[in-house]
Amino acid sequence: MKAIRNLSLGAGIAASLWATASFAQDPIRQIELLSRPQAAQPAEFQAIQLIAQEWRKLGLDVKVNVMPWSQMADAVWYNRDTWDVTAWQMTGRPERSDPDEIIFNLFHSSTAEKGYNFIGYNNPAYDKIVEEQRVTVDPEQRKALVIEAQEILAADQPNMMLVHPQQAFAFDKTVFDPTSVVDQSGIGIRSYWSWLNITPTGDQKDIIVNSSDNVIAVNPLYISGVTDNWLTELIYDRLFRVGADGLPQPWLAESFEWRDDTTIAVTLREGATFHDGQPVTAEDVVFSYEATTGGEAPMYAPFGSNVSGIAVEGDNTVVFTLGTQSASFLTSSLAKINIIPKHVWDPVLADLSTKDENAESHQEDMPIGSGAFKFVRWLPNEEIVLEANADHFNAPKAERFILRLVPNAEAALGMLRSGEINFLTDFQGDPQVLLDAAEQDGDLEVVSTVDIGFRYVAFNLRRPPFDDPAFRRALSAAVDRRLIVNAAFKKFAVASNSVVSPALEYWHAADVVDGFQAGTDVAKSILEEAGYGGVGDKLTYPEGVSETLAD
Amino acid sequence: MPEAAVIRKPRVLSRVFSAVRLPVGDPFAVVGLVIYALFIVTALSAPLIAPYDPTEILYTENYDLASDLLPGEEGHVLGTTSLGRDIFSQIVWGARSALLVGLTAAFMVAFIGSIVGLLSGYFGGWVDALLMRLADVAFGIPFLPFVIVISAFSEPSIWNTVIAMALVLWRDTGRVIRSQVLSLRSRGYVEAARVSGSSDLKIILRHITPNILPLSFLYGSIAIGWAILTEASISFLGFGDPDAISWGFMLQDAFNSQALARQAYHWFIPPGLAIILVVSAGFFISRGYENLLFPKLGR
Amino acid sequence: MSKFKSFLIRTLQLALVLWAVVTILFLMFRLMPGNPLAAYIDPTFTAEQQEALIRQFGLDQPLWRQYFTYLANLLQGELGYSFRYRTPVADRIWLLLPNTLILTFSSLIVAYAFGILAGAWLAWRRGTRTEAAALPVVLATRAMPEFWLGMVLLAIFSFSLGWFPAGGTRSAGTSYDSLWALYTSSNFLSHLFLPMMTLAIYSQGLPLLLMRSNMLDVMKEDFITMAKIKGLSPFAVVIRHGARNALLPVMTSFAISVGYQLQGNVVVESVFSWPGLGRELVNAVAASDYPLAQGAFLMIAVVVIAMNLLADLLYSILDPRISHA
Repeated sequence: MKAIRNLSLGAGIAASLWATASFAQDPIRQIELLSRPQAAQPAEFQAIQLIAQEWRKLGLDVKVNVMPWSQMADAVWYNRDTWDVTAWQMTGRPERSDPDEIIFNLFHSSTAEKGYNFIGYNNPAYDKIVEEQRVTVDPEQRKALVIEAQEILAADQPNMMLVHPQQAFAFDKTVFDPTSVVDQSGIGIRSYWSWLNITPTGDQKDIIVNSSDNVIAVNPLYISGVTDNWLTELIYDRLFRVGADGLPQPWLAESFEWRDDTTIAVTLREGATFHDGQPVTAEDVVFSYEATTGGEAPMYAPFGSNVSGIAVEGDNTVVFTLGTQSASFLTSSLAKINIIPKHVWDPVLADLSTKDENAESHQEDMPIGSGAFKFVRWLPNEEIVLEANADHFNAPKAERFILRLVPNAEAALGMLRSGEINFLTDFQGDPQVLLDAAEQDGDLEVVSTVDIGFRYVAFNLRRPPFDDPAFRRALSAAVDRRLIVNAAFKKFAVASNSVVSPALEYWHAADVVDGFQAGTDVAKSILEEAGYGGVGDKLTYPEGVSETLAD
Repeated sequence: MPEAAVIRKPRVLSRVFSAVRLPVGDPFAVVGLVIYALFIVTALSAPLIAPYDPTEILYTENYDLASDLLPGEEGHVLGTTSLGRDIFSQIVWGARSALLVGLTAAFMVAFIGSIVGLLSGYFGGWVDALLMRLADVAFGIPFLPFVIVISAFSEPSIWNTVIAMALVLWRDTGRVIRSQVLSLRSRGYVEAARVSGSSDLKIILRHITPNILPLSFLYGSIAIGWAILTEASISFLGFGDPDAISWGFMLQDAFNSQALARQAYHWFIPPGLAIILVVSAGFFISRGYENLLFPKLGR
Repeated sequence: MSKFKSFLIRTLQLALVLWAVVTILFLMFRLMPGNPLAAYIDPTFTAEQQEALIRQFGLDQPLWRQYFTYLANLLQGELGYSFRYRTPVADRIWLLLPNTLILTFSSLIVAYAFGILAGAWLAWRRGTRTEAAALPVVLATRAMPEFWLGMVLLAIFSFSLGWFPAGGTRSAGTSYDSLWALYTSSNFLSHLFLPMMTLAIYSQGLPLLLMRSNMLDVMKEDFITMAKIKGLSPFAVVIRHGARNALLPVMTSFAISVGYQLQGNVVVESVFSWPGLGRELVNAVAASDYPLAQGAFLMIAVVVIAMNLLADLLYSILDPRISHA
C-alpha cells in the first residue's frame, strides 16, 4: 500500500485508483494532536477526544498523543518546528486584565522564535496594529485597535479558541455577609478585594481558605506560584492595584500625572507604614524598582524593564521615565511590583550580590510589607496565618486570613461543609458536585465567574497544512463549541472565539464570537471552496500544493 | 519433623510436584484456592466478561457523556465513572493487571531470593558475606518510598513498578532460603554426594534446590499480595501507568473524582473489596503452605 | 562480653548499610535522565539565568565531586537546598518529622495493645467458632490497602457523620505554646483519630497473630501444666503465666513495625492531608524536587535502619527466652 502510494505521488496517474474524488492531489499526512493526560486535565483530554472525532468526519487522519505537561512543554515550546496541533491554555491573572499581554505576546512576530508566539504566527498587518495599541493612550482609540486585532485573529484562526472556563468558588454565607464578597471581573470572588471587604457577621472572624498547591515561598521578589501570590498581594502593597472592574487604580500612590508620553510622576499616600512601624518613603519605592531589575530577581525583572530612569522629587513623589511609551504601564508595572522596605532588603541584597543564590532563594522568617495583612506564621504543608493590619489605609474587616493547604478536592469540600474552611478558593473537582453539595448544605453560596484565561487548540503555522488560513478555519468550524462546553467542561465554561475574554467587557469583541458559524457542513464547504480534495473521505491538498516538511 | 522438609532420596521431579502440591487439606487454603481460580478465570477471559473497553468514554444517545451513572442505569451493572467509563468492566480488566503484577513480582522475588539464598548458603565465605550485606542494604531501603521514586522517575509502566518491588523484596526469601540451605548442606546425603565427587552445580541442582522449592513457593505466594497492594498504592498516588486499568488506578480515579463526596460507594468499594479478596486469598494459601511445611507454626 | 562484641559488629555493619543506602540514593536521583532542574527553569529565563541556577545547585560539577560534596554535607547534617522552595531541606524535614513520628507511634501503640489482648484471647478460645470467624477477618485487615481503608473511614466518619475533621493536625489558626500542649489538646487528638485508626487497624494483625501463636507455644510448656494442676482458673493461667512469657517476642517485633509503618504513612498522610514526611516525599517526587525527595527518603531510611538495629539488639538480649521455646 505504501509503495503504491509513493508511486502515485510521483506519477499522478495511479492516484485516481485510491483517491476517487481527486486527481493528482497530495494526501494530507496523519496529524498528531497533543493532549495532557486525563488524570491531570480531564476537561482538556475530553475536549481533545471530541475534536479528533469531529475532524475525522472531514476526512483527516488524526492521532491523539497524550503526554504529561513537562513532555508537552518540551515538544511544543522548545521544539517549535516539529509538532502539529496541541491543546494549550492561558491562565487568568489580574495583570492580564489589560489585553496587551495576550494580544501582543501571543501573536507578535517578534516573539515567534523564543517567546509566547510558539505557533509562529507572522502577520505584518497584525503586528502593526498591536504595536500601535501599545502606544495609544486614549482608551477609545486603543479599544478600536484591540477590536480590530481580534477581528484579524478571527479571520486567520491561528488558534482554535475553545472556551473561557468558569471557575467556581464558594463561601459560607452564615459566616460572611454575602453582599460584602467582591466578584472581580475575570478573576472571580477569590479576589484581593474580597479579602479586604468581606465582613464577618458572627463569632467567626477569620477568613479560612484552601489551596491544593503548596506554598513555595512568601517572597516579594519571587513569582513562585499562584497561591503564593495571594499572600504576597496581601502582605505587600503596590503603587497601583487592578480594581474589581479590571482597571488600574492608585493604591499606595495618592495620585499620578503623565508629564509626557514617557514620564509619569507618582505621589505617595501620606502616613503609610511597614508592619515593623517604619514609614513607607519614596526611597523605599525607588529601592523596590531597582531591586527588581538589579539582577537578583530574574522573574520580576521583565515587569520593571521598561523603566529607564527613576528619581525622587520633593518628599514623596517618584518620577518614572519609560524607555518606550506604554499604555499598559500602570497595570503591567505599577500594579505588579511589590513595595519592599529598604531597611530590611538592602543588607540582604548586598549579601546576595556576592553569592550564587539570588533573592528568589531568600525566605524571610517574618516577611515585612506595608499591606493590609501582616504575616504571622507558616506551618509547612499545613497552614499560613496572616492577621489584619489595623493601621492600613484600607484595613480589612476580617481579623485573620488563614490559608489551609489541602491536597485534594475531596477533603477541601468536606472541610467547607464542616466549617474547617469557610471560603473555598481552590476547587479542582467537578463543579456539579460542588453545586449539589451547596444545595444539600444550605449554608454555602457558589459563585462562578468567566475567566480571563482560556483553553484552545494551537496549530503549528510553520507546518502545512496549517499554514493555510482556510484549512484552519475549516478545522475550527468543524467543532461546535457547545459540545466542548457541555461534554468536556460540564457547562462550566463559555464558548470562545477571541483571546480577549468577555470578562474584559470593555476590550472584548462580542461580534467575533456571536458571528462564528460551526458544524461539519460549514467546515466541509470551506474545505471544498479552498480546493481541498477527498473531503469527508481522505483529505488531500488543493491542486498544485504538495506537502513539504522540513524534518 | 515436617514431612516435606525432610528429604532422604532426592528426585527432582517428585520434589517439584510435592512443592506445588496444593494444600487442599486446609479449609482456609481451599477458600483461597477457589478465590484464586475465580480470579484467574476472570483475568484470562476479561474481554469476554467485560461489556465495554475499560478506557472507552461512553456517550448517551444525545451526545451527552454517560458519566456518573448509578448501578443499573442504562445497563451498567456498577454504573459509570465521572468520565463515562463502565465500572464493572474496569473491575474485570483490573483483575488482569493484578494477575500480571502479582505473578511476575512473585516469580521475580522467588527467583532472585532463591538464587541468592542458594549461593550464599552453599558457598559461604565471602560470597555469603557479600550477599548478606546486600540483603542488609535491601532491608535498609524503605520499600514503598523506593518503589515510588523508581516508578515516578522512569517511564510510567507496570513493569518498572514490578522491577522496583523485586529489587527490594527478594531480601526475606534470600535470608530464609539461606538458612534452609545451611542446614541441608550438612545433611548426610549432601556430604555423601560431595565425597563421591559430584560437582557443586550438580549438588545444588539435584540435592538442594528441590528441597528449597516449597519455601520459594511460600514466599512467592506472599509476594503476590504485597505486589498487588503496592501497585495499588503507587497508582493511588498517581505514579502508576495511566494506560493500564488497575484496581489502584480505579481508586485513585474515584478519590480524585470525589466519589466520597458523591457517596458513590458503588465506585470505590468494589475495587477495594477485589484487592482484599485476592490478597487475603494469597494469605490463606500461604498459611496452608506453612501448615504443610512447618506443622508446628500454624494451627 | 561476646554478646557486646557481636552487637558492635552488627552496628558497624549497619553503618556500612547506611552508607550504601546513601550512595544508592545519590545515584538514583543523579542518574535519572534529563536535566534535574528542567521543571524549575522558567521558559523566559535567559541562558545566563539558567546557568546561574545550575551553578547554584552545584550541578555543573563532575559527578564524583558532587558525590563527595554530598557525603561531606551529610556528615554535617546538611541535606542541601530544595529546588522548589529554594530553602534548606533539613529545615523542612525537622519540622515535619514530629508529625510523622507521633502518627506512627500512636497507631502502633493502639495496634499492639489491641493485638496483644486479642491474640491472647484468641489463643485461649482456641478451636471455638469465635476463633474460626476471627482469623479470616484478621487476615483480611492485612490485605486491605491502607489508603482505601482511610477513604472508607473518611467517607463514613467525616463526610457522612461529621464526627471527625477531614484533615490536617489542628483547626485553622490555632496555636499552642509547645508541642506537648499541642499533642495533648483535644483539637489535635480529634484530628489524629482517623489516620491513627486507619494505620492501627492495618497493623494490629501482626502482633495479634504473633501473640496467639506464641501463646499456643507457651501454653504447652510444663509450668503451665503445673499451674493448671495447682488448680488455678484457666483464664488466670492464660494471663498470669502464658501472656507474660509470650509477650517478649511480640514486643521485639515492635521495632520492625515502626520501620514498616513509616512506609505505610506515605499513602495515609496523603489521604488525610497530614503534614508529615511521607506526604512531603510524595509531593517532592511529583514536583521533581530531588534534594527534598532525597532528604525525606534518607530520613525514613535512617529510622528503618535504626529500628532494624534495635530489633537485633532486643533479639540478642532475649535470646535465652527464645531458644528456650
